Amino acid sequence: MIWTGNPKIRSLARFFEARWFLSIVLVGVFLWSLTGVDWNGSIVHSGGGSSFKDFSLGLFPPELSPGFMKLAIIASWQTVVHAVAGMTLAVIIGLPLGVVASGSLGNPSRSRLAIAVVVRFVLAFMRSIHELVWAVLFVAAFGLSSLAAVMAIAVPYAGMLGRIYSEVLNDVPEGPLDGLRSAGGSSFSVLVYGRMPMAITDMLSYSFYRFECAIRAAAIMSFVGIRGLGFEIQLSLNDLLFGEVWTLLFFLFGLVLLVDYWSTRVRRSLDS
Amino acid sequence: MRNHASAWRDFVQGRTGFTFARASLYGFFVLAVVSWLYILVGADSGFGDLLSSRAWNNAGGFLRQLLGLEDGLTGEGRPAFLQLDRWGETGRLAYETLMMSVLAIGLAGLGVLLTFLPAARNVSNGELGGRPSAVMGAIYHVLRIFFAFTRAVPELVWAMVIVFFLSPGILPGAIALALHNYGIVGKLSAEVVENMDPGPARALRSAGAGNLQMLAYGIIPQSMPHFLTYLLYRWEVVIRTTVVVGFVSAGGLGREFRLSLSFFQYTDVALIILWYLILVLGVDLISAFLRRMVRTG
Amino acid sequence: MRLTNDIAGQESNCSNAEAPLVDGRGIGKSFGTLMALAPLDISIGAGERVALAGPSGSGKSTLLYLLAGLVPPDRGELILDSQPVAGLQPGKELSEAVGLIQQQLDLVPQLPVIQNVLAGRLGQWGILRSLASLFSARERKSVEVVLSRLGVADKIDEPTSHLSGGEQQRVAIARLMIQAPKVLLADEPVSSLDPARAEEILRLLTGLVADTGGAMVASLHSPDLIREHFTRVIGLRHGILQFDIPARELTSTVLEALYDLDREPED
Repeated sequence: MIWTGNPKIRSLARFFEARWFLSIVLVGVFLWSLTGVDWNGSIVHSGGGSSFKDFSLGLFPPELSPGFMKLAIIASWQTVVHAVAGMTLAVIIGLPLGVVASGSLGNPSRSRLAIAVVVRFVLAFMRSIHELVWAVLFVAAFGLSSLAAVMAIAVPYAGMLGRIYSEVLNDVPEGPLDGLRSAGGSSFSVLVYGRMPMAITDMLSYSFYRFECAIRAAAIMSFVGIRGLGFEIQLSLNDLLFGEVWTLLFFLFGLVLLVDYWSTRVRRSLDS
Repeated sequence: MRNHASAWRDFVQGRTGFTFARASLYGFFVLAVVSWLYILVGADSGFGDLLSSRAWNNAGGFLRQLLGLEDGLTGEGRPAFLQLDRWGETGRLAYETLMMSVLAIGLAGLGVLLTFLPAARNVSNGELGGRPSAVMGAIYHVLRIFFAFTRAVPELVWAMVIVFFLSPGILPGAIALALHNYGIVGKLSAEVVENMDPGPARALRSAGAGNLQMLAYGIIPQSMPHFLTYLLYRWEVVIRTTVVVGFVSAGGLGREFRLSLSFFQYTDVALIILWYLILVLGVDLISAFLRRMVRTG
Repeated sequence: MRLTNDIAGQESNCSNAEAPLVDGRGIGKSFGTLMALAPLDISIGAGERVALAGPSGSGKSTLLYLLAGLVPPDRGELILDSQPVAGLQPGKELSEAVGLIQQQLDLVPQLPVIQNVLAGRLGQWGILRSLASLFSARERKSVEVVLSRLGVADKIDEPTSHLSGGEQQRVAIARLMIQAPKVLLADEPVSSLDPARAEEILRLLTGLVADTGGAMVASLHSPDLIREHFTRVIGLRHGILQFDIPARELTSTVLEALYDLDREPED
């Protein structure tokens, strides 16, 4: 706070430190981003307007024929399957990495901390890259298959889970752990009997939350040719069958809602 | 606190209070087994390849090409990430990608600011003031459903649809990202208003504030820090997703990534990944800095 | 209960001849099946400083909320400044009649102090002026004057959350000073303060009441503070009025009986 006698300077100083300054900067940055759009070219491409109209009309009504509904259900199942497989791998990879990253395995030592730091970097790298980018890389390496999709979800999600697991394990209160140690527990048993039970509810809670995101991730694996809701949406879009597109969007919506509801109930039950 | 050795035993043996969670865990386990069976038994799962040395050789080759240790089909000579002009070209695309992410977040934020208040139950049913009205109740439900729908659909799917009406560039991608994040930040911001301490708003009432004044002096100042924090957190996610959305909407690094892959120019791919990591790191740092500014008021 | 002419508390107005500022007849409030406040009569004139005493849950806060016009009484009639409370427009009219400070203060933490203080003007300002003031505070001078009286003038532009608890309480009082209601209501204003601070706050509040020629109702527990700063004391227990006497007649025995844990609620 600049406290000078001159009221003009005071008000100027107040202007700069005020939150208004931040807001103006943010608005300015947003306006800058608008300049990146090519406003001179056509924003809506030729035929785009009528496409939009057809797309909107496709909602009334969406494609509800039994044959298509069956297709949508199968596609939803395929999405779920890949999401679940990816999540399970993510937990299998993320849990041990998270434990190591928390530094609570083994006895306190410089090397243990160094390893923890390295693992943290690895986890950060894993989750920095978007699952679809991983998918494209896996396809380039191993070819088009379910493997690519499952790994593409498992790797970044393992990174996210591992990081949260390590934080939760570290945030555990020390009191009961000291009790276990003074009762003669080895550091491994302190981990298993002390940290894990106290941390497990938060870990489960976050894992179920991530599962909802995994559903969405599995849906877009269509981009690498994995069958599922995203794949069918692409097909229907290419055929301009907008009624089908809406039906599939609703299936996706419903699937995510279902998992979201399940996940919320699980978390509520864990909080009690 | 309970003795934790027995807590662990209790949990495994099912003597704890969270029955639904435990049932869900078992249910998920069953789902996992079924899913893996479905995948492994299905044709073309790719997992069989893990056992073949050919697949690993291919993968190894890919990795080597990525790192520039082996020339790909194009036989380019020097790897792209060792060429300065390539850095500049890709850098320009990274700049475009950054713009796309800011545009997306800005549009999402604008949308939320306009609609999060009526989407809060305590505002729309008049708890905080004013009389409940059927119109406000209807608006509340419509907005909440809209949040849920835009949130549920992944950004890439939105992009696929939007590219049908808008010309390629950064705009369709930005709108797709904005839609998805609008749903997320909108729901969170409305919940902030719903969970808010009613004390200050009530005190403003007794100081004589009317509804609009109470919104301006009480509710908005208290919800702004949370709103900005959520928006900044989402920016960190958006910058990662912008590249992916660029695959479809043909803007920024994403388009170049796709092109380079299809032309097997793997060192270009590596260069793009490097710029991508720089962007991600940069945005994470700026977001953390801005969030700290927001927190200290 | 009647209007009490307490000479010690009398200010310049001839409160004899005027209608009481607060006139409640048979006002009561229940929340569901719980009767928070049994119907009682209360009448407060200008210049009076009324203390509310009683254990937690005795209905003190409920009575204050009723007097503040924040909740309508379930029973009876409440007249504030010669108007029935239901008829008082929330906003300008109500805020000119009564003002309330809560124990939790309830300031908006993110706003700078000057905006929280100026909130006292919201009853008089229209929506446009209120919004304009958020961007560039009007009446800065009057806020500076008020804050320097309270000793926190240097914090005028600080976000309110940066201030200590004691400083924030002064900001809440400053808001009330700007609002200048006829009846000042305070819910446990000194319960968490040490004796020296409590003295200071009560002196500020009574000074404010003296300036406006209005009245004050505050809930507190200390018999010494009650005797020193107030003209009248009302005792509540389990929502039922126990006594309404001049402050100087308050004895420790009376107060002890009020707070007695062993006694059953009377019907």
